[in-house]
Amino acid sequence: MYISLNWLKDFVKIPAKINPAVLAEKLTGHTVEVEGFVNSGEQFDRVVVGKVLEVAKHPNADRLRLTVVDVKKTKLNIVCGAPNVAPGQLVAVALVGAILPNGLEIKAAEIRGEKSAGMICAEDELGLGKDHEGIMVLNGDAKIGEPFAKYLKAEDIVLEIDNKSLSNRPDLLNHYGLAREVAAIFSLPLKPYDKFFQKKWNFAEAKENTLEVKVKEPELCARYQALKVENIEVKESPAWLKERLVAINQRPINNIVDLTNYVMFDCGQPMHAFDAAKVTKIVVRRAEDNEVLETLDEKERVLDNQDLLITDGKEAIAIAGVMGGRHSEIGPDTTALILESANFLGSSVRRTAQKFGLRTEASVRFEKSLAPNLTEFALWRFLTLLKEICPKMKIASALADINNAADKETKIVLDLNWLTVKIGQEISRSEVADILKRLGFILADEDGDILTVTVPAWRAIKDVTTREDLAEEILRLFGYNNVVSRLPILEMRLPETNQERVLERKIKSLLAGKHALNEVYNYSFVGEEQLKKLDIDFSNHLKLANPLTDLQTMLRQSLVPGLINNIKTNQSRPGDLGFFEIGSIFWPAPGNFKKEIAGDETLPYQEKHLGVAMAGEDGNALGRVKAVVNNMLQNLLGYEEEAEFSLLENIPGWANKKAAVSIKIYEKEIGFAAIISPETTEKVNLKKEAAIAELNFTFLVQLVLGRSSFDFREPAKYPPIIRDLAFVVNQKILYNDLRSEFLKFNPLIKKVELFDVYSGSKLPDGQKSLAFHLVYQDDSRTLTAPEVNKIQEELMVHLAKKFEAKLRDF
Amino acid sequence: MKNKLQKLRDDFLRQLSTVDTSERLRDLELKYLSRKGELSEIMHELKNLSGELKRDIGGLANAVKTELQDKFTEARRLLDKRSGGERMTDVSLPGEKIINGHLNPITLVQNELEDLFTSLGFMVLDGPELESDYYNFTALNLSPDHPARDMQDTFYIDYKNKSGQYDLLMRTQTSPVQIRAMRKYGAPLKAIIPGRCFRNESTDARHEHTFYQVEGILVDKNINFANLKSFLEIVGQKLFGPDTKLRMRPKFFPFVEPGNNGEYSCFLCGGKGCRVCKNTGWLEIVGAGLIHPDVLRAGGIDPEVYSGLAFGFGLNRLAMLKYSINDVRLFNSGDLKFLEQF
Repeated sequence: MYISLNWLKDFVKIPAKINPAVLAEKLTGHTVEVEGFVNSGEQFDRVVVGKVLEVAKHPNADRLRLTVVDVKKTKLNIVCGAPNVAPGQLVAVALVGAILPNGLEIKAAEIRGEKSAGMICAEDELGLGKDHEGIMVLNGDAKIGEPFAKYLKAEDIVLEIDNKSLSNRPDLLNHYGLAREVAAIFSLPLKPYDKFFQKKWNFAEAKENTLEVKVKEPELCARYQALKVENIEVKESPAWLKERLVAINQRPINNIVDLTNYVMFDCGQPMHAFDAAKVTKIVVRRAEDNEVLETLDEKERVLDNQDLLITDGKEAIAIAGVMGGRHSEIGPDTTALILESANFLGSSVRRTAQKFGLRTEASVRFEKSLAPNLTEFALWRFLTLLKEICPKMKIASALADINNAADKETKIVLDLNWLTVKIGQEISRSEVADILKRLGFILADEDGDILTVTVPAWRAIKDVTTREDLAEEILRLFGYNNVVSRLPILEMRLPETNQERVLERKIKSLLAGKHALNEVYNYSFVGEEQLKKLDIDFSNHLKLANPLTDLQTMLRQSLVPGLINNIKTNQSRPGDLGFFEIGSIFWPAPGNFKKEIAGDETLPYQEKHLGVAMAGEDGNALGRVKAVVNNMLQNLLGYEEEAEFSLLENIPGWANKKAAVSIKIYEKEIGFAAIISPETTEKVNLKKEAAIAELNFTFLVQLVLGRSSFDFREPAKYPPIIRDLAFVVNQKILYNDLRSEFLKFNPLIKKVELFDVYSGSKLPDGQKSLAFHLVYQDDSRTLTAPEVNKIQEELMVHLAKKFEAKLRDF
Repeated sequence: MKNKLQKLRDDFLRQLSTVDTSERLRDLELKYLSRKGELSEIMHELKNLSGELKRDIGGLANAVKTELQDKFTEARRLLDKRSGGERMTDVSLPGEKIINGHLNPITLVQNELEDLFTSLGFMVLDGPELESDYYNFTALNLSPDHPARDMQDTFYIDYKNKSGQYDLLMRTQTSPVQIRAMRKYGAPLKAIIPGRCFRNESTDARHEHTFYQVEGILVDKNINFANLKSFLEIVGQKLFGPDTKLRMRPKFFPFVEPGNNGEYSCFLCGGKGCRVCKNTGWLEIVGAGLIHPDVLRAGGIDPEVYSGLAFGFGLNRLAMLKYSINDVRLFNSGDLKFLEQF
C-alpha cells in the first residue's frame, strides 16, 4: 500500500525534523514495516514539458511522423507514431535515459532510418490512464522545459507499506489511520476527522423521496447507509484529486468513482456509487445458486448462496464488498447516483473474493473486519467533497440507514502487575496511560494498579480484544528495543534425545563422508509424465488440489524419480556419480499422526525413506550400491552383520528384472536395490548405468533402537585356519545358498568371505566360478591341518552332490 | 660342518663386497639367506647332530646368520643410498586422490542450529509434512476465514472432507508441531522443530515453494518479553558472532502476542551497510513472539499458569547468508556444481 506524505499532513502536522527517513524508521519500529519511500516526482525523472514545433511525414513509414520538439535547452528530433500529434501542442517528452512508469526505457534510436532522440508520451506510458489512442496533450499551464512532475504537481513523498504486516490492522489501510499512528508515535496532535466533513445535510424528508433499502441478512451486513444524489455531472476529476490518486498508484477514472476511492484511501471505508437511472431501490440478500452478474471488470460471475449480493429488488447490481455490477456502473451520462456506505461481514466477503480470485481494494478492507460506524464518517466526507466537485449536486432522498451492529463497547481489564510480569520490567502507570490514550484507548477514571480500558471502535473488531493485545500496544509504543533483556531462569531438565534424528545425522555423515555420496533434497512432488516413463503406477498417489506445474501434481511414494533426475542433471560429468536423500513419502492410507485433537481420524501415511543412487561406466553400479548399504548397516547394527540380498518379488517397472534385489537384515525386508533397466534408461535419457537402493528409514530406526546392546567379544585364543576354495557351479546357483550351505555344514566354519566371481571364456557357458576364504576356528583348541582338510574334502563332496559344484582347476 | 659354515660366510662376504646392483643383491639373498638358501640348508642339517656338537655348531651357525644378515642389510642400505642419489624423486607429486562426498548446506546449517539448541537443553522434534488444516492453521489461531491465511499460499491435497472442504495440506510452517509437542509433552517444554515447509508460489531466484525452517518454543512459568529478547540476542551472537546486535520491531503473527521481527546487525559490515544487508546494516532473520494464550490452550496448556516464547528461522535464508548463495533454487537442484562446494 502506498501512503502520500502530503495526504498524511492533512491530518497531522509533521515537523520538518521528522524527515521521511525518520518517519519510515519509526513507523517500522513501532507499527508497520515501511518498505521504502520515493519522491513521487522521481517516476517522471527525465520527462519534461516540450512544445511540438514541426510535424512531417516519415519518408519510410506511413504511420510515423517526424517531429521537432522544443524542450527549452535544445530542439529534439523525435519520431512519433501518434495520429494526433500537431504543431503547437504542449506535450510530455521522455528524454533519452528516462525509465517510464510502465517500465519502458528510452534510448536514442533509429526508427526506419530516421533518428529519434526521445519519445512523446501517451497517458498510459506515464501511468496516468488507459489512453493509448494518442499522445497526452498538456494544458496551457505547462511551461516548456519544466519537469513533467512539476507540471503534474506530483511532488510528494510516497511511503510503501508492507501489506502483509497489516493483515490484523484494517484501521491502517488509509491515510487517517496511519496519521493516527504517526501522531501517537511522535506525540503529535491529530486533527479530529470530523473537522473534515459537514455533518448536517438537508436530506429530502418527503415520504415520496424515501430510498427503499432492505437488508435480508443482518448477520452478514452490520450497517447499510445509502442515499440518492441528483444533479451530478460525471467528468474528469479535478487536478488535486487526480494528483493524490496518482501519487498512491491509483488510476483516475471519473470524478465520482475517483471520489469513492479517495474517501476509501482517506478513512478506510470502501464505498460504491450506482447509477440511479438503473437502480431505484436496494435489497441486500444472498445470491441464488447459479445466479449470474456481470461485474465491472466485464466478467460474468456465477454466484451461489454463500455470496452476498446488492440487488435492486430483482436483479443483482453488485457483489457485496467485492465489486459492482457493470449494468449500474457510473458513466458519462449518469446524472444521479445512489451512494452506498456499508459494512459487510469479513469472513463472507473473504470467501466470495477468494472464490472468484478477485481481491479488490474493497474486499481487502472488508475481509479484515471494519468498524460499523465508519460508514457514517465516510458518507459525510464523501458528500462534503462531492459538493466541492459538483457544486450543483442535490440530495434527493432521505438517508437510509439500516443498523444491525451490536452496540457494545469492548472493555478490557488490565492489571499493571500482570503487565510487569508479562514484559519482565515495569512501565509506570502514567506511561501506560499516556500510550493508551495516544492510541485512542479510553481509560476509566480510577486509581490503583487495575485499569479499565475501552477499545476505540476502529480497533475493537477482531483486533484488540484481550489483555495480551493491550500488552502489545503498550510495548510497541514503549519500544521493543527499550526493554532490558534478561535470560530466563529455569530449572534444569534432561531433554529427551531424538534418536531418529541422531541416527539420521549419523547416516548422513557416513554416506557423505565415508562413501563420498552427495546429499540431495528433492521435491516431495512428482508428475505424471515422469512416472509414466518410469512405469510407476500413480493411480494411488495423493494429488495436489492446486499444483503449480504439470511436473509436480502428486506426492511422491518413492525417492527414485528424484534420484534419477539427480543423475540426469549431472551425467555430463565423466566418471562415477553418487547421491543420497533422506525424505518423506506419502500414501493415501491411515497414518500415525492425528488429524485433529478430537476424534480418531489420522493424516495420510507418511514415512521417511533413504535413497542411494550410483551411476557409472564400470558396469558395477549395483555392486557398489549394495556395498554402501551393507557397510552402512554394519556401521549401524554391528560389524559382524551382513545384509542379505535376494531376488525381489515386486519388481518396479523401471528396474532390470534380473538385477532387482530385496535387502534384508535380521530376516526383515527393509528395502530394495535395482539397476535401472535398459529400456527405462533409454526412455528417460540416462547416459550411464545407474542403480538405486531405497530403504525404509523408519524400519531402520526401529531396527537400530530395538537392537540389544552391543557386547565386546574377546578375541579368539586359538588361531584360525584359513582356506581358499574356488569352484565352478551353474550360474543359477546363488551366492546366498552357497554361503548358508557352508555355514550350516560344519560349526567349525566360522566365516565365509567371497573374494572373486568369474564367468567367461575359460569356463563353459552357463557356468561361473566363485572363490571364497573359509575361516575354520575352534574356541577351545588349535585346529590341525589334517582335520580341516578332511572337513573340506567332505564339503566338496557335499557341494558336488547338492550344487554340482566342481573344484576350479586353473 | 664348521668349515662348511666358514666357507659359506667367506663366499657370501666376498660376493657381497662386489655387488653393485639391486638385482645382484637379490640373487645373493636368494642363494644364501632365503628360506631354501644354503644357510637354511646347513641349519636344517643341524638337527641330525647330537648333544654338545649340536650346541657348539648351532651357536656358530646362529652367529654367522646374524652377521650375514647384518652385513646384507648394511649393503642394501648403501646400495639404496647410492641409487637414491641418482634416481630423482618428484617430491611435489600429489598423494592418492580421495573422492569427497558432500552434505546439503541446509543440513549443515540445520545441524549447527540443532547443536546450539540441544546445548541449551532443547529437544529436537519432528512432525508430519502433510498436515491438517486444523494443526497448520486453526489451532494456531488462524480460523478458517482469517485474512492472515493469505500470508501463506498453501498447497492443498485433492481430498475433500465431509463438509466438502480441502482440509489436508502441505504444511506452510513448522508451527503445527508446536501444538503436537505441547499435547505430547505438556509444560514445561523446550523444543526446536526443524523441517521442510511448502508455499504455493512460483519459484525464482528468491522464492522456492519448498523450503526449510527451524522453529523453537520455550514454555515455562513466567516467560516474559525480556526473556524473549535476551534469548534472540544469544541466538544471534551464536549464529553471527559475539558482537551481533538485535533490533526488534512489531510484526503480526497470529500465533504470538506480542509478535515481532528480529533483525541482527550485519555480520559482514558490522552494521555500516554493505551488499549483504542491502546497505541497511541489518539482516531480517527471525520471527518471534510470546505464544498466544489461545495457542497454549489448543496445546492443552493453561495460559494462566504457563507462558512461552516462540521463534522461527528460515534455514534457506541462513544458508544463503552464510555462504553468499544468490539463488534459493540451488538447494533443491541436485546440481553437483553447487553441492560439491560444501
